[in-house]
Amino acid sequence: MYVQLLDLACGALLLTAVLVLWRRELVVIIRVFALQGAALAVLVGVLAAHENSAELWAVALGVFVLRAGVLPYLLRRALAGAGESRREASPLVNVSASLLAAAALTLLAYAVSQPLVALAPSAATQAIPVGVTVVLIGFFVLVTRRRALSQLVGFLLMDNGITAVGFLTTTSVGLVVELGVSLDVLLAVLVLQVLTTRMRETFGDTDLDELRELRD
Amino acid sequence: MLGALVHLAFGWRRATTWVSAASAGFVLATAIVLAVEVSRSGPVTAMAGLLRVDALSAFMVLVIGAVGLVATAATPAYFRAEIDDGRATARTAARHSLLVQLFLATMALAVLAANLGVVWVAVEATTIVTAFLVGQRRTRASVEAAWKYVVICSAGIALALLGTIVLNFAAAHAPGTAGLDLATLSAHASGLNPGVTRIAIALLVLGFGTKAGLAPLHAWLPDAHSQAPAPVSALMSGVLLSVAFYAILRVKVISDAALGAGFARTLLTVMALASLALAASLLIGQRDYKRMLAYSSIEHLGLVAFGAAIGSPLALTAALLHVFGHGLAKAVLFLGAGRVLQFTGTSQIDGVRGLIARHPALATTFGFGVLALAGLPPFSLFASELGIVRAGFTAGLGWQTTAALALVLVIAAALITNTSRMLLGAPSTSDTPAATPIPIALAGGLLACAVLGIVAGPLPALLDLATQPLAVTR
Amino acid sequence: MSALGVVGGVVQPVLIVAGSPLLVGVMRQVRARLEGRAGAGVGQPWRDLRKLLRKERIAPRGTSEVFRFAPLVLVATTLVVAVVVPFVATESALDPVADLFAVVALLALGAVALALAGLDTGTAFGGMGASREMTILALVEPTLLVAIFALSVRVGSTNLGTIVSSTLQDPARVISPVSLLAAVALVVVIVAETGRIPVDNPSTHLELTMVHEAMVLEYAGPDLALVELASAMRLSVFLGLLANLFAPWGIATEATPLAVLIGVLALMVKVGVLGGLLAAAEVFVAKLRLFRVPELLAGSFLLALLAVAASFFLA
Repeated sequence: MYVQLLDLACGALLLTAVLVLWRRELVVIIRVFALQGAALAVLVGVLAAHENSAELWAVALGVFVLRAGVLPYLLRRALAGAGESRREASPLVNVSASLLAAAALTLLAYAVSQPLVALAPSAATQAIPVGVTVVLIGFFVLVTRRRALSQLVGFLLMDNGITAVGFLTTTSVGLVVELGVSLDVLLAVLVLQVLTTRMRETFGDTDLDELRELRD
Repeated sequence: MLGALVHLAFGWRRATTWVSAASAGFVLATAIVLAVEVSRSGPVTAMAGLLRVDALSAFMVLVIGAVGLVATAATPAYFRAEIDDGRATARTAARHSLLVQLFLATMALAVLAANLGVVWVAVEATTIVTAFLVGQRRTRASVEAAWKYVVICSAGIALALLGTIVLNFAAAHAPGTAGLDLATLSAHASGLNPGVTRIAIALLVLGFGTKAGLAPLHAWLPDAHSQAPAPVSALMSGVLLSVAFYAILRVKVISDAALGAGFARTLLTVMALASLALAASLLIGQRDYKRMLAYSSIEHLGLVAFGAAIGSPLALTAALLHVFGHGLAKAVLFLGAGRVLQFTGTSQIDGVRGLIARHPALATTFGFGVLALAGLPPFSLFASELGIVRAGFTAGLGWQTTAALALVLVIAAALITNTSRMLLGAPSTSDTPAATPIPIALAGGLLACAVLGIVAGPLPALLDLATQPLAVTR
Repeated sequence: MSALGVVGGVVQPVLIVAGSPLLVGVMRQVRARLEGRAGAGVGQPWRDLRKLLRKERIAPRGTSEVFRFAPLVLVATTLVVAVVVPFVATESALDPVADLFAVVALLALGAVALALAGLDTGTAFGGMGASREMTILALVEPTLLVAIFALSVRVGSTNLGTIVSSTLQDPARVISPVSLLAAVALVVVIVAETGRIPVDNPSTHLELTMVHEAMVLEYAGPDLALVELASAMRLSVFLGLLANLFAPWGIATEATPLAVLIGVLALMVKVGVLGGLLAAAEVFVAKLRLFRVPELLAGSFLLALLAVAASFFLA
């Protein structure tokens, strides 16, 4: 039962990552991202139930609040001010090509994480490639999307993937580090949100194609 | 003593003009005390084992303090000019000083932390704190620079986080180690699983390399450095890059013990040579002098990385000395460039002609600074570059060193040509020569750099201590 | 060849041939009711077929044998699939043919025959429909293979009967990421392959959008009846496959009349419900522009691939 729930949570993680890559409407992307946060929380919760640790339950709750509540809320607020530009109109790599690229990234993630799985084979570590895939897909979104908000989601996707890997490998990297990481992510999103607002003020848009002034 | 330092750094202060400088000076003073303490009685631990000072940390705090002092000492003059021209308000200045304090504090935390996870948190925190400093002017270009800076650095640093987690995983399954304490990790590194550690090290070096401005993830650096206000550019270029590199040095120790010297050496050599080549190709045709300085930072960090890649005690000592010298010289230059920008209103090299006729004192400082960057004696960069090259040849990295040397020469030539176009020649407008007072800070910084080059003072003992645990044992 | 296999091999094709026009009728009726129309009744497709079959055979001038044989090939391949795939009984009359790759290849063969016929007419619409169909087919087939393959990895066999019976024995497998991802991929692929909205609209003759209809535009009389029947059968076959891969309950595992009867009823209910859902979904979805179709199919391919990957690393 534990293994199946764990696998199911990982499957949801993977599916939501793919959906972010697939869909164009930013509203939908944010909703999918919130779902992914929830899936991550479920993953941590399943681990908590397995290890029977109250601390981990608290962490799961924290993950849920931060990633399925606060961060999507911030994104939605950034979007609300965006006016008409609510679609990722033309990514640098078109959607079908990026979906195929994601397929390749999956295989890459699987190949790369072999030593990790081999070090301590268990149901949890066998799901590490899923986390790595989410990281790679997030990186891909970050690199190929033009809307400020999509890039932000890409960054958060990476972070979700990293967190997933973190929980799947060992259940703790120390409380201080955990808190620091969460705080850093939250602050980074806040900073980027403020920057998005400023960008809209100065550029009138959040299409990053406008960012052409600085180059050699 | 440590508590005092941290307290001070985190201290919540209103920006009365000289407080920043005073606190930076205090950091420097504490650093000197620390250095003496450490070289006399070995590593010190504080805050329930979260902070730990060994010689390398002490040296880095020294660099932070010194460069911080130079930068903050020049800040009041800079803001006076900005406010006079209506480009900034007192509130901006106050916020600026507050953020700079936080910036210094996070950097100090990064080099003092005993735990790799805390190092990561601190380095990422520097990104967040400086984001608004970069975008301070709120122009199109500066918002663009800030966005690129935060996105690229955060993404790069995220890779380092993944590396940290993977390393933690490896540590949890190795005998004698648990968690991410740097000292324990280095001591027991040989027990780590090589396959897993290799992934972790590659991610960590790439991630922190982003923050250190090493190729291939360097794209944020020229933009951020050219758009940030002068004191911030000075700090970022002078110390932030080296702080990120400090993390790489720590990682390299673990890597050498777990995987042998070859892995990290190859990785760093490739990144270093790529950075050098990139800086050289973009410096030759550079038209913007702040970007010119930014690319020169990439070059120097590339050199430091090369020094670390060689890994012999001589190379490491030289690399650390290079960090110090480069920090001072680059801080002076960015501050000088900030003044030039205020006087001329343009950051184009072509827009600045005959500076030496109009602002002789400033132009002289700037000129000497560039000479220092180009690695000419008597400045310390000459000594350290020489050290790295010598170490490179003795370590049997012949052709890599030759390539690096050739690239450095190209860069020096490009720098000097570009600068001479700015300084010499007839002034385009009929300005009367203005007697601009150069801030003492600038001259002081240069002087320190020169002194460092001639007599290394009490530093060698500290440097020796710092490099001892880092060096590759063969 | 077991008794169950023989029973299945006889019952299944009869059921598919007789039932598939009814399925189309049900789907049209559901749509009509949802759109507020009375609808033509469930039996209308059969009445259409009867009318067409009574007409005279007629072929456009200049067409070759390809044009004439294509409907036969289409019906024949679909019929073979209907015989071998485990719809009513877990065992197959021709066990070696009930293989994943053989079934997908048979279905593709039919589609290719029809596309060739479209080209053979030499008209603009026929060629256009054929080229579009080939584009979609090129994307659909690999997805189909990979998605079913993901399900077969755990079983260790590509035999569809084995896959179905192993799911029957271990129902918990249905709630796993592999099944989840593969199911989503399969649904998308089946929608595309059978020419439903949002990929193709079966009830349009608008030249800009039609795919399947463009290919069969030149057919008339009994040939058209065969093509229509074959399309309906393909739809039933795909829906039946989907139903039995993920919810095989009710399928006959022994050759008693009762078990077979339950199997028949279960299949009818499952396929009927799926068809109803599909028709209901079509009411609410707009057709995709043709150049967006590859995107949809690339997505489903990715999901199928992820399913395979998951079946390996979440084993």
